[in-house]
Amino acid sequence: MRIDTALLRAAQEGGAFLRLYRWNPPCLSFGRNEPAATRYDRARIEALGLDVVRRPTGGRAVWHDTEVTYAVAAPVALFGSLRVTYHSIHATIVAALRRLGVPATLADGREPVPHTGAGACFASPAGGEVTVDGRKLVGSAQTREGEAFLQHGSILLADAQGLVADLTVGSARAPAAVSLAEVLGRAVTFAETSAAIADAARASWRGVWEEGDMPTVPADDRFADPAWTWRR
Amino acid sequence: MSNIPADLRYTEEHEYIRSEAGGVVIIGITDYAQGELGDIVYVDLPDVGTSLARMDVFGTIEAVKAVSELFSPLAGEVIEINDALDKDPSLVNKDPYDDGWMIKMQIRSEGELNELLPASDYAQHIGE
Repeated sequence: MRIDTALLRAAQEGGAFLRLYRWNPPCLSFGRNEPAATRYDRARIEALGLDVVRRPTGGRAVWHDTEVTYAVAAPVALFGSLRVTYHSIHATIVAALRRLGVPATLADGREPVPHTGAGACFASPAGGEVTVDGRKLVGSAQTREGEAFLQHGSILLADAQGLVADLTVGSARAPAAVSLAEVLGRAVTFAETSAAIADAARASWRGVWEEGDMPTVPADDRFADPAWTWRR
Repeated sequence: MSNIPADLRYTEEHEYIRSEAGGVVIIGITDYAQGELGDIVYVDLPDVGTSLARMDVFGTIEAVKAVSELFSPLAGEVIEINDALDKDPSLVNKDPYDDGWMIKMQIRSEGELNELLPASDYAQHIGE
């Protein structure tokens, strides 16, 4: 989250970035304003020794285990309105997934309003989500600060979102998530998925692409601070 | 078409400013903005007494799929916040110009009001 936030800061200076990464160890992330302290069983999370972080973006909890995580940070002017940005990024991911043989589609915006109570981020597809047969394959969230945005999200290689429901206090909706392994009937690697996304991104977003190291990450200890993680 | 009341002032960041007597203004986000954001699930507002410079971030607003910053269109002091949004942030969607207001400010210079967009300019800004 520190690095994604650093990309957002660099985007405010005019840079545009696509970052593809994974988590080691696996981690539970909360949405920026999610009432995690009452929604999830903190004692159990700590007893299980799970890593926990609160994202700078909104939405609900995600268990980051076997997935490709993407982050796009860029000046707002490069992409446009919130909806246009969402659509452009998700359409690029759909194009990448189709290269892998996944019949992914963008859910249209006419679906019912997603419920915003307890449960995993993947429990309910909103309009513009990447789905297969109505089940959510990619969970994304966006934040806008000044003249730049950060959108990041998880592309499930294998599904373990049931853990979020297990850690939820009271009843939680069973996730309607689907993973690439389930769709393709085989194990899908981080390398092949991230390569497909990078190829699709180069095709969608024309310009001079440079592969490289992350920009210098400014010290932002917020994401390692339990007071921030469990602030509500 | 969005609702853009003629008696309010606006910013390019999609806030509206309603002037009351004695240099007091009420600030919220426009009907267009709430429509773009979609279902609003949380509004984070400053404490009463907070002093704001023009274009300071005074809070954040979270919709189902995005968190956005809220910018103070004027310099002044926050004298009241809309506590009702804590329990029901969807008021911003349902009634952005009345029940969905966000903060009330005592502004430092009423002259700054003239630098804000009138309704016709804001309509042009959002392409309506």
